[in-house]
Amino acid sequence: MSSLRRANLRTRLTLLYASLLAVGLLLYAVGVSAFFLRNLREELDSSLHRDVETVEGALLAAPDGTLQISSREGEAEEGELEHGYFLEVWSQQGSLIYHSAQLRNQVLGLPPGKGAGFSRQDPHSIRLPSGMRLRTISRLHHMAVGNPVVVRLAVSEEPLWREFWEMVTVLGFGLPLTVIAVALTGYLVAARALKPVDAMAQHAAQITAEQLNERLQIENPNDELGQLGVAFNATLARLERSFDQLRKFTADASHELRTPLTAIQSVGEVSLQMHGDVRYYRNTIGSMLEETNRLAALVDNLLTMARADAGRMQLQRAQVNLLDLATETVKFLEVLAEERHQAIRIDGTGELTVAADRTVLRQALVNVVHNAVKYSPDGGEVRVRIRETESDAIVEVQDNGPGIPMEHRDRIFERFYRVDKSRTRAAGGAGLGLSIAAWAVSMHGGRIEVVCEPGPGSTFRIRLPKILPAVAPAGYSNS
Amino acid sequence: MRILLVEDEIKVGSALSEGLEAQGYEITWAQTGEDGFFHASSNSYDLLLLDIMLPGRDGLEILNALRKQGLKAPVLLLTAKDAIEDRVLGLDMGADDYLVKPFAFAELSARIRALLRRNKPEPTDVLLIASLEIDPVRRTVSREGRRLDLTAREFELLEYLARNHGRVVSRQMLARDVWQETGRATPLDNVIDVHVARLRRKMDEPFEQKLLHTVRGVGFTLSEDDA
Repeated sequence: MSSLRRANLRTRLTLLYASLLAVGLLLYAVGVSAFFLRNLREELDSSLHRDVETVEGALLAAPDGTLQISSREGEAEEGELEHGYFLEVWSQQGSLIYHSAQLRNQVLGLPPGKGAGFSRQDPHSIRLPSGMRLRTISRLHHMAVGNPVVVRLAVSEEPLWREFWEMVTVLGFGLPLTVIAVALTGYLVAARALKPVDAMAQHAAQITAEQLNERLQIENPNDELGQLGVAFNATLARLERSFDQLRKFTADASHELRTPLTAIQSVGEVSLQMHGDVRYYRNTIGSMLEETNRLAALVDNLLTMARADAGRMQLQRAQVNLLDLATETVKFLEVLAEERHQAIRIDGTGELTVAADRTVLRQALVNVVHNAVKYSPDGGEVRVRIRETESDAIVEVQDNGPGIPMEHRDRIFERFYRVDKSRTRAAGGAGLGLSIAAWAVSMHGGRIEVVCEPGPGSTFRIRLPKILPAVAPAGYSNS
Repeated sequence: MRILLVEDEIKVGSALSEGLEAQGYEITWAQTGEDGFFHASSNSYDLLLLDIMLPGRDGLEILNALRKQGLKAPVLLLTAKDAIEDRVLGLDMGADDYLVKPFAFAELSARIRALLRRNKPEPTDVLLIASLEIDPVRRTVSREGRRLDLTAREFELLEYLARNHGRVVSRQMLARDVWQETGRATPLDNVIDVHVARLRRKMDEPFEQKLLHTVRGVGFTLSEDDA
C-alpha cells in the first residue's frame, strides 16, 4: 500500500481503474457462464424428453416376455444409442430387463424401489463409475401387455461440458487481455491528460524569488487544471507583490536608518578634528544623541510593524465611545495646534460606541489628527466629526491644508511614503504615522479613506464596522 | 549602595558602571551569567541589574535560580527584546522592573532610585528650588513670592522635574511618568516639547535666573546651575 502511495498519480489511477474493470468483467463472466450452462442443460433436457418418448414408442414386449426394441426404428435407435445415448429398462420389481451394450455392467442409478415406482422422474445429472457424466431421465412406461416398466434414458453430458469449458476458456483469455489493453490505454490517456501538470510543475520549479513575474501558461482556465493554474498564478501575483513590498520596505528602512547613522558619524568625526571647548563638545554629543533617539524611535516603529505583520497583536476589545476618544485625542494634541494658532473642533454624536482596542484605535486617531495639524497652515482649522451610517461608525478628520495631489492619494498609507520628498524628517517624521494608522484601523476590520474635494483641504475618513467582523485580519499589508 | 551589574556587552557594561559609580553607587560588574550568579549568591547587593540576553545562561534563568535561593534584592531587567511576552515572563520570574534597550542613562538611574526607595512614600513637603516653591499637596507654585498659574499638566511636569532636581529627565521618562504613555510611536515628543516651552514661559522667562534647561539630545533638567 505504501509503495502504491509512493507511485505517481497516473499509475495509481490506472491500477485503480484496471482492478475495478477486472472485478466487473469477472462478475460478468461468471454470470454469463452460469446462464450459458443453464441454457445448455435445458436444451439437453428438452431433447431427452423428446427422445424418451421415441424410445417408449419403440419398445415392444416379445412373446417370451422379454423386451425388444422395434426393428426398424429400433435399429435407428441402436445407431443413435451408440452416439452417446444409453437406455435401461427395469421391471417395477427392480430387475434389469434391458440395457444398452455400451453401459457394460454399469447402471444408470439405483433400481426403482419395489412397489413404490421409481424415485425420480425429473432429468438429473449423474456420474458413471467410469467417470462419464450423464444426464438421465426416467419414465414409467405402460406396455401394451404385461406390467409397466421403468424406462431410463441417459445422454452423455460431455459435449455440453466441452462447449461450456470452451466458452470459459475464451472468456478466461479474453478477460485479462481486455483488462491489460484498457489499462494500457488508460495509462496513456492519463499521461496525456496529466501532461499539463508535468509542464506546470516544471515551470513552477523554475520560478524563484528573482523571477516572480513569471506566470504559468493556462490552456483552458475552466477545467480543473486550469483552475489550479489560475489559483497558482494568483498566489504568485500576491507573492510578487509582497516581495516587492518587502524589497521596497527594506530599501526605505535602510535609508531611514542610514540617515541618522551618517549624521552621527560625520558629526563625531568632524568634532574629533576640531579643538573646541567643553560647550562645543557637549553640543556635538547632544546632536549625536538626538540622532540616536531618532534611531531608537524608528526601530520602535519598525518593531511595532513587524509584530503587526506577524499577526502577533492581540486586540483587547471593549466598548469605546468615539466622542470620548476623539476628545481625549484632541486634548492630547491641542497644544501643538495652539502653538500654531490652529483650532480643533469636534462635533458629532456622543452615543456612538464601537468594540475596539482603545490603545490601538487611539494611536490611529492620534496619528491622523496629528497629520492634519501638521499640514494645516498657521491659524487654520482642523475638524473632527463623528457620525454613523447604517453599518459603519465614522470619524472624519478634516484639515484645510494644501490637499493631497491625486497621484499620491493611494500611496500615502504606504510605509515611509512622503508626499513632499523635500520635507525634512524633523517636520515630516519618518512617513510611518499614516501607515500605522491604516494598520490600526484595519485591525478593527475598518479602513481609512482620503476624500479630497476640489480646492484646499483634505478629509481622512476612518470607517469602523459597528458589528464585529467574525475574524480580524491576521496580518496587515499595504496592498 | 551596592549594585551588581550583569552585562556581557563590554561597551554598555563599562559605560553603565562608570556612570553609576559617578552617581556614588558601588558597582560589581559580571560579564557572564555564571559569574553574575556566583556574585549574587555569595555577596549581598542592594540591587541587581540583569541583562536578559547573556551567553550561556540567560538572565531569566539566573533570576529564577536566585529567587529560588531566596534573593530579596530588587532586580531591574535590561532587555533588547521589545516583546510583551518577555516582559511578562520577566516580571513573573520575579523581576521588579525592566528597561528596553536602547534606554537613556537618565532613565536607568531614575528607575534605580525608584527601586531603592521603594515603599517609601513621596515626601509631601514643599519643594524649594532657588526662588521656586512647589506645594505638592495644595498643587500651587510660586516664584519670588508670586503665584504662578499653571495647568494641571504643567504642574505635574514641574513637580516631576523638581523631584528629579539637578538630574536630567529624558522625554521618555516624562512620557512614561507624567503622560503615562508607552511606546515612542506617537507625536508625544512634540507635545512634551510644547508643554516644556509653555512651562518655561510661565516660570522662567519673567525672571532673571533660569532654572529649566534643555540638555541637547537627552532631555530637560531643573537646576540652579547653567547646564
